[in-house]
Amino acid sequence: MRMDTSRKKSSSLLEKNKSNPRIALIEARNLTKRFIRDRAALDDVSFEMKENEIVGLLGHNGAGKSTVLGIMLGMVRPNAGEVVIGGVSVQRNRAGALRQIGAIFEAPAFYEYMTGWQNLRALCALSGWWDEKEVWRVLELVGLKDRVHGKVQTFSHGMRQRLALAQALLPMPKVLLLDEPTDGLDPEGIHEFRATILKLRAEHGLTILLNSHLLSEVELMCDRCVILRDGRKVYEGTVQATQREHPQFKLSTDDMALAKSIALSAGVRMADDNSLEIIDGSSGHALLAQLVQAGVRVDAWTPRHKTLEDWYLELTHPKL
Amino acid sequence: MKLLLWQWRAELWKLLARKRTFLGFGAFLVLEAVLLVVFHLDKVENVFRKMIQHQGEAFESYFSALTLGYLMLRLSVFLLGGIYLSLVAGDVVAKESEDGNLRLILARPISRFRLLAVKFASCIAYTVVLIQFISWTALLLGIIIRGWGGGLFAFAPEQEFLAFYDAGEGLQRYAMGTVTLSLSMCMATCIAFFFSCWRIKPSAATITALSYLLIDMILREGHFMDSYKHLLITNYMTSWSMVFFETIPWAVLARDYAILGGVGLTLFVLGTLIFESRDLKS
Repeated sequence: MRMDTSRKKSSSLLEKNKSNPRIALIEARNLTKRFIRDRAALDDVSFEMKENEIVGLLGHNGAGKSTVLGIMLGMVRPNAGEVVIGGVSVQRNRAGALRQIGAIFEAPAFYEYMTGWQNLRALCALSGWWDEKEVWRVLELVGLKDRVHGKVQTFSHGMRQRLALAQALLPMPKVLLLDEPTDGLDPEGIHEFRATILKLRAEHGLTILLNSHLLSEVELMCDRCVILRDGRKVYEGTVQATQREHPQFKLSTDDMALAKSIALSAGVRMADDNSLEIIDGSSGHALLAQLVQAGVRVDAWTPRHKTLEDWYLELTHPKL
Repeated sequence: MKLLLWQWRAELWKLLARKRTFLGFGAFLVLEAVLLVVFHLDKVENVFRKMIQHQGEAFESYFSALTLGYLMLRLSVFLLGGIYLSLVAGDVVAKESEDGNLRLILARPISRFRLLAVKFASCIAYTVVLIQFISWTALLLGIIIRGWGGGLFAFAPEQEFLAFYDAGEGLQRYAMGTVTLSLSMCMATCIAFFFSCWRIKPSAATITALSYLLIDMILREGHFMDSYKHLLITNYMTSWSMVFFETIPWAVLARDYAILGGVGLTLFVLGTLIFESRDLKS
């Protein structure tokens, strides 16, 4: 039972990096991939992930999210570009780069005929690592301590996902790649999973890339998100920024013509569905006061919150 | 090197944890028992009686545990060996690719070449263990039925020879035969392993490997291929029984196994290149 020296090195690196949280730990540079000659699954996609950051990777089916993860793990060879993790290029030194990564996939495929413990041993052997004490600690963290000696074929989906998380954390990585990790989990399981991931980030300073269809999940967990559409990056930035866009209100009144003229003179955009978007930075209260003072009889004034979903759909389906 | 051995041990562990691995051993044991019964049917026994007596030897002395072991070994490997080894080696990469295990494995810091090397070594080890198991259980069953003693009557139609040895010499030749047969059967494993590296279903890898071996064998048997036998793999695989020749042609054996080794290594390298070029995506 031993912990290899490279792991010790990366642990100390983690400590060092914790004091400098703005280091770009992952750099995806100009990733291009064509599976079929005339169609790019990824077209010149670049983004960065800073130390201790949780980034959501969003996009419709076939947008290229799994291809990005595949390239990050060296399972897919890009036609151009590279991924650099902690200064090591995945494409040039796959093993070196992957020493810093743990990954979970949607519906993780374990060896069904083996126990959870045997699966962990077999997978950890590939990393040249085994430390029973650390394995028990991680099993306790993911809540699988009592069932780990059961055969995987008897595990529920939730237990498999916990085992998947355990194997990704053994040995403790610097980066965690999560590919649709909460798919198929019940609400309680999703909540638990989310809490564990956030705890990991807080306690171990992990940098996490979350590939998920669940926008609510991204909203709750991620600091930033990268949105892909048809293999191209259409957005990279904070999730919060999506909600800090221009405030919108829905107006209900009989004097729509008057309201429209006042709104236009105040520099407010008004749509056909009677929604108003304040683009000059002034507040909704001020506009409402202006309308009332001008004699507009306001029947209803409802703030409209643009959800991440609205915003995501606008970006990925501009015609909707 | 230590890491490689560790990884190899984990791969063997995976192989041994599968029920099918042991079912295979059980299946061969059952087949040997069935063959033993068949060899004791009057009409079958009479065929051997005639063959042995025709050479001027005593049937009772040479229809022994060693001879029964030799016959069971030949027939069980011929009937099931290729199928079973192709099944295991055909599964080793393709099944993990199909089931999605490869994604978990390749998220680890292990190169594809090393992963394949570990799997290949496991398949070869499994082949040797299985053939040894078949060989020695066949002899054990023979001893249970006929008791120890008597000589070895060995023959092989494809090598056009028959030979008689006393118990000591016979056992020695039998032991050498188990080694050469293990090496020959590694070729079936290599072929199935090669196809397993392709982006195909595990059953397709097994069937393709078996089809190749079968076609090769049929061509070898056809006289129209006499001038081209040196191009057929099974032609070299049958060399295992040369250790039963009265004078063992060591040079021929060395040449044939060098060719088999070269082809096996080439198949591994080609399989690795194919696997390396593949994109593994769900």
